[in-house]
Amino acid sequence: MRAIVVALLLMTHAVWGAEFDPALVDGARKEGTATWYTGLIVNQAARPLAEAFQARFPGIKLSYARASNTETTLKILNEGRAGRTAADVFDVTSGIYVLLDAHVVAAYPPHSAAHFAPEYKDKDGYWTASNLYFMTLCYNTNLIKPADAPKTFEDLASPRWAGKIAWTSELAITGPPGFIGNVLTTMGQDAGMAYLRRFAALKPAALPISPRAVMDQVISGEYAIGMQIYNHHAAISAAVGAPVDWVKLEPLIGLFSLMGVLKDAPHPNAARLFVEYVMSDEGQKVLADNDYLPSSPTVPPRIPGLRPDGGGFKVNYISPLMARDELPKWTAIYQEIFR
Amino acid sequence: MNNALADPRVIIAVGVGAVLVALMVPPLWMLMQDSVTTTDAFGDITGFTLQHFQKLVIEKRALISLWNSLLFAAGSTVLSLLTGGILAWLVERTNAPLKVLAYLVAIISMGTPYVLHVIAWLFLLGKVGPLNDLWRQMTGETGVLFNVNSMAGMILIEGFLWSPLVFLLLGSTFRNANADMEEAARMSGASVLDTLRRISLPLAMPSLLALALFVFIRAIGGFEVPALVGMPGRIYVLTTDVYESTVTVPPDLGHAAAFSIVMVAIVAVLLAFYGRLSRNAERYHSITGKGFRPRPFDLGRGRWIAGGLIVLNFVVVLLLPLLTLGWMSLLPFLRSISLAGMASLTLKNYRAVFTAHGYVDLAINSLLVAAGSATAIMAITALAGWIAGRNGPGGRILDQLATLSLVFPGICLGVAVMEVWLRVPLPIYGTLWIIGIAYVIRYMPFGMRYVYSAVLQLHRELEEAASVAGAGTMTTLRRIVAPLLTPALVAGWLFIFLIANKELAIAVLLASPHSQVIAVAIFDQWVNGQGGELAAFGLIWTVLMTIIATVFFVFTRRGGVDVYGN
Repeated sequence: MRAIVVALLLMTHAVWGAEFDPALVDGARKEGTATWYTGLIVNQAARPLAEAFQARFPGIKLSYARASNTETTLKILNEGRAGRTAADVFDVTSGIYVLLDAHVVAAYPPHSAAHFAPEYKDKDGYWTASNLYFMTLCYNTNLIKPADAPKTFEDLASPRWAGKIAWTSELAITGPPGFIGNVLTTMGQDAGMAYLRRFAALKPAALPISPRAVMDQVISGEYAIGMQIYNHHAAISAAVGAPVDWVKLEPLIGLFSLMGVLKDAPHPNAARLFVEYVMSDEGQKVLADNDYLPSSPTVPPRIPGLRPDGGGFKVNYISPLMARDELPKWTAIYQEIFR
Repeated sequence: MNNALADPRVIIAVGVGAVLVALMVPPLWMLMQDSVTTTDAFGDITGFTLQHFQKLVIEKRALISLWNSLLFAAGSTVLSLLTGGILAWLVERTNAPLKVLAYLVAIISMGTPYVLHVIAWLFLLGKVGPLNDLWRQMTGETGVLFNVNSMAGMILIEGFLWSPLVFLLLGSTFRNANADMEEAARMSGASVLDTLRRISLPLAMPSLLALALFVFIRAIGGFEVPALVGMPGRIYVLTTDVYESTVTVPPDLGHAAAFSIVMVAIVAVLLAFYGRLSRNAERYHSITGKGFRPRPFDLGRGRWIAGGLIVLNFVVVLLLPLLTLGWMSLLPFLRSISLAGMASLTLKNYRAVFTAHGYVDLAINSLLVAAGSATAIMAITALAGWIAGRNGPGGRILDQLATLSLVFPGICLGVAVMEVWLRVPLPIYGTLWIIGIAYVIRYMPFGMRYVYSAVLQLHRELEEAASVAGAGTMTTLRRIVAPLLTPALVAGWLFIFLIANKELAIAVLLASPHSQVIAVAIFDQWVNGQGGELAAFGLIWTVLMTIIATVFFVFTRRGGVDVYGN
């Protein structure tokens, strides 16, 4: 009997425990809690991840707060300024360079991401990509027939869409400046600017809400077309019957959700454990099960067509370095011609 | 008399004055400093500059925002004065039926966060809302009858937001006016309209103007409508410009501060006018010692038209937004009002509100910080208002200090308080305390008005009698003044408690994930696309606040104190 119990314990350990450093788990248990500032949509990804983590490591409470990338960045910077860092772990997209420049992020290359492709990890370990994003255009399938939906930048600039397009007002890569950057890097400065001026004439509505909520407005029919939305969000909503589909508006913008641990994290062990968990096949599977696009090569996405390799579309990746150099310029262009 | 130091009032005045200076001056100072300096990513000052102000002058964008702000504030002031004013007159001075509906609107509106109203209106008037839907079905068009994301939409919604308060404030003006002059006019053969035009309106004019300025000042600092209604239509006003430059990466605090200084200056000038107007208004008060319950105008058959207006107001300002929220709260995802929608109705959102413990924390946070700041304000203003009302030592200075924060639009105060507490090395930023401090600063003037006008109504002889009988200052305060001021203190407390839970602008930049309050949480949920849960929670919250607002209303009516301590 006792031998069986021991054998079972060993087996469980082999299956579940081996991936995570026991010392780290111990430390995290002692801290008992961690706070995660995230940009992941609560019911689609943040809550499932947090619940799975808590179930996996009973006794560690993970609280999360969802905000836009910009807001998350500002909150972390301000907390740093005030000497009151409340968050332990965070994720943002390419805007992470602001936090890196402010030296508030700790280097922590998770072991569970050792097999990730090199472009999904910072070479100094300051960030690791938990999942991939592809930003494009979505449309309401009750209002626009698939054949009529704009397929190219040129289609999109047609005057017939005037007043029918919405996007988020957030001045980040995930918002209008990202689109501006995509157009400029694809078409070149002069042709790009000429195109942007034509597009601006359609007066896209800049909604002070997240790209996810912009898509909800498209679904409800307030707007026919949503720009700068995530293709997997469209897939998630279409799966439950919402009248929405996405278009391969090539090149799509490629981004990573970058996760990092804060230098002054009050619960550093729990923070690291959470990063380890999210990058592990278990955590990556939670994301995949919710139709997010994992960055682990060993966890396939549920809908391969959402990725460039499976869906056969071209992508323009905007890295944190590129964002650092170009985002202020793209934002200025937005202020100049879109407002 | 003995030397001034022995007078306990001097000690009180110095103590209260010190607290007021510590609260009021740093935010103002911080805005001025930020507006003329450059900072690095960490907010440390790197040099002196005038470029923020230069940009305001040369950039077309700034001037457009300024113009939009003025237009928006003026339009919504006129609209709310018209709707609220007509309603107040009908209810207070005529025999119109169904008056209770008007009070119902006012009371429930008092308890509902503005942002909730705005979200309901956005849906009602939106492209797929019932109004445009109906129009499309009737005409077969595919476009919209009314674009809500326009200046007209902004004015309409903001006007509706303020009309219940205008109703309450003008109601007291009409109620307290002496009817003798109107009676005389009627007896000399003037018609109802003539009397209104030649007697009632001129008499109410100073109050009307003062109220107009008051609403204008509040609307210029309004944030909810410009953010949710204006920004999608690319209509920016000063407050949304300040907000946007604070929430970009890296934040352009200099720009925000310069904009704020401009707004503070505009409001300060308007307040100076307001002060003069409301002083003049007092001269027109025709209250006498006589029983002055005015005889209501008999509208004859017009009664039913008046009743119709009251019902219309009830339906438009209260019922439609509430029904809209009800609809939103019962849907799995946002869709227009239709039979297809009916089929998908669910209680899922309500279940989420009652089971997720985050909502309980949120409610407790909001109640705590509102109650705490209301208590602190009434404690400070009880002393400051008494000294000022009695022309005690430093009374005028105390009054000015306590009302200084009227110059801050909410969003500017949010920026300023944030900047102060990012620099002071005390653990305040990121906690509920910073929101509480901002509320105390912002709502201090309201507390002051309640106490000050109550003190003016207490005759000095009571305190003199106490003094003659041998009571010291403290005993007089405790046994004579405090009990007599209690109704005003309670009314002020309730009023501050209610508005602290309504406004979004102040807390939107100060709340953090561990210190959320209602209005900010509703705004966040809207931003994140959780409209259903937001509506369910908002409705439950509205019920709770309506109970408190009812207590406030009954209390002020009975205690003879009016809204805003008028």
